[in-house]
Amino acid sequence: MKRRKVLQRLALGVASLSAASVPYGLARMLAPDRPTTTKIHYLRPPGALSDAAAFNEACIGCGLCGEVCPPKSIRFSDREGGSRLNTPFIDPAKKGCILCGKCMEVCPTDALTETEREDVEMGIAQIDRTACYPWVDRGVCGACVVACPLGERGIGFDFANMYRPVVKKGCVGCGVCVEVCPHPSLPIRIAEPGSSTVVVHQI
Amino acid sequence: MAKTDILMASPVSKPFFLWRHLNKLRWLSLSIVFLMLLLIPFLHLYQTYVAAHAYDLLYPSERLIYDSMETLTAPFVSDPENDLDMLKGTTWSGRLFGLDLSDPLAVAGQIAASGKLLWPFLLTALIPIGLTVVFGRFFCGWICPATFLYELNTGLGVWLRKLGFHTGQRRLNRKFKYLVLFVGLALSPLLGTVAVAAIYPPAIVGREIYYAIALDGFGIGAVFFAGTLLFDLMVARRGFCRYLCPGGALYSLLGRYRLLRIQRVVEDCNDCAKCNAVCEFGLDPLRDGFGQECNNCTACIAVCPTDALVFKLTPKDQPDRGPGHLGRQYRRSQEATTQGGHET
Repeated sequence: MKRRKVLQRLALGVASLSAASVPYGLARMLAPDRPTTTKIHYLRPPGALSDAAAFNEACIGCGLCGEVCPPKSIRFSDREGGSRLNTPFIDPAKKGCILCGKCMEVCPTDALTETEREDVEMGIAQIDRTACYPWVDRGVCGACVVACPLGERGIGFDFANMYRPVVKKGCVGCGVCVEVCPHPSLPIRIAEPGSSTVVVHQI
Repeated sequence: MAKTDILMASPVSKPFFLWRHLNKLRWLSLSIVFLMLLLIPFLHLYQTYVAAHAYDLLYPSERLIYDSMETLTAPFVSDPENDLDMLKGTTWSGRLFGLDLSDPLAVAGQIAASGKLLWPFLLTALIPIGLTVVFGRFFCGWICPATFLYELNTGLGVWLRKLGFHTGQRRLNRKFKYLVLFVGLALSPLLGTVAVAAIYPPAIVGREIYYAIALDGFGIGAVFFAGTLLFDLMVARRGFCRYLCPGGALYSLLGRYRLLRIQRVVEDCNDCAKCNAVCEFGLDPLRDGFGQECNNCTACIAVCPTDALVFKLTPKDQPDRGPGHLGRQYRRSQEATTQGGHET
C-alpha cells in the first residue's frame, strides 16, 4: 500500500515536470536567433596562447605570473572553472594590464610567450556609443585615452569632437581603459581580437 | 666465549656523530621552505606597494607589511620592485636567487597534457631530477611544504590517541600511488589540464598560501588538502604520501637506484624496533626493508640507540640480514649453535 503511494507520487512528479517543460521548450524553439555576444568575461595575461584549450594544457598553475605582476592585475580561478582551475586571468573592470611583460618573462612553460607589447593580442576594446559620456553629449571625459599604455596607437579622440574616444587598430586589449572608465555600466569593454571597435546593438 | 665476543664486539663502522642530528637539520630545512612560502607573497605585496608609489594611501595593515618587508630586505636590495623578482614562486615551479627550478612532476604533467616537450622547461627540472636520482625521495622528507604540515598532523594524531581517540592505522597497497600517477598523467590530455597539479599537496600548499596572503583567500585546493589531513588521521598515518601522492610515486621511481641510502649495520643493531615505530612511511628498517619508498628523512638514525643505522653509498639495498647481533634473538640462536657444537 505504502509502496504504491510512493510510486504514484513519483509518477505525478515526473508528469508535472515534463508538462512544465513543454512551454519552455516551445519558447526556446520559437525564439529568434540572437547573435552571441563577443564580450570576454576574463582576459588571459599578455602573450598567452591564443587557443584556450592549449593554454589550459600548457599552464601548470604555478602562480608565478601573478607573483611578479606589479599592479596585481593577474588573478587566478582558484575556486571554479573546470580545466581553467588555477590558471591566471585578468579582470579589466578591477585592474587592467600595464603591459610590463614580467609575466611573459617569468612563465616557465610556453603558456605565456614573450611578445612585444604592440603584438600582444588579449582582445580589443569596444566602445558603446550609446552610453559613453562624451558620445551621448553628457560632458567631457577622455580618461581612457589618457590611461592607455600604448598611447595614440591604441585609442584616440574622434576627429570632429575632442572628447569622443575612438579605439584604433593598435589596441591590444590590455583593459586599462576599462579600469579607469568612470561610467558605472562600463561602456568600454574588451572583446575578442578582431571584433569591431564599436558595440553593435541589435534590437 | 662467544658471549664476551659479542659484548666486546668493536663497532664495525660507527657513524659520524653529527648524523644523529640530521633530523633536526631536516626540520630546519622544512621550516625554512615553509617560511619562505609564507614570506614570498608578503614580498610580492611589498613590491606592488613600491610599484604603486602610494605609501600615503596604504591602510595601516598594509603599511605594516610595507615597513616590515622594507626593514627585512633593505640590506640586500637597492631596487625592491625589480630586485625581489629573484625570489619567486613555490616548490612547484619557482625562482631561487635567479635560478629557475621546477618540480619534475610539473614537467611530466605538462608533457602529458600538451604532448609537447619544452626544453627550457625541462631544463629547470634537471637539477631536481639529478638530486632525486642520487638522494631518492629526499624532496618528500626535506623540502616538501606539505610534509611540514603532515608531520605536524602526525604529532596531532599522537595527541589524539593519548586523549583516547582512534586514529587510522590501516595498511593499504603502496603501489596504489603509481596508479594515481599513471591515471593522473593519462587523464591530463582528456581533461585538457595538468590534472596532477590539482591533487599534488606541495603544489596545493604553495599556491594556496599565495592565494590566501596576496589574493582573495583560499581556493578549492585548501579543501582538498584538509581532506588529505583527515585521510592521514582517519585512515593511515601519512597515508596520502604513502599510498596516493603522484609526486611521491614519481620520485620513488626516479630514486629506485639512488646512491645514498640508509642501511642497517646488523652487528650494532639490538632489535629494539624504535626505527620501525618512528618511520613515518611505515617502512621496516629493523629488517633492512627500506626500498624505493624511503625518503632519507633520517628519523630512524636519530632514534637508534646503538647507532646501527648509517648512510651508505650503494645503489641497492642489502638483503635482510636477520636479527641484530646485540639483540636477544641473535644471542639465543648463537647459544643454540654453540651448544649444538658441544653436542656433536
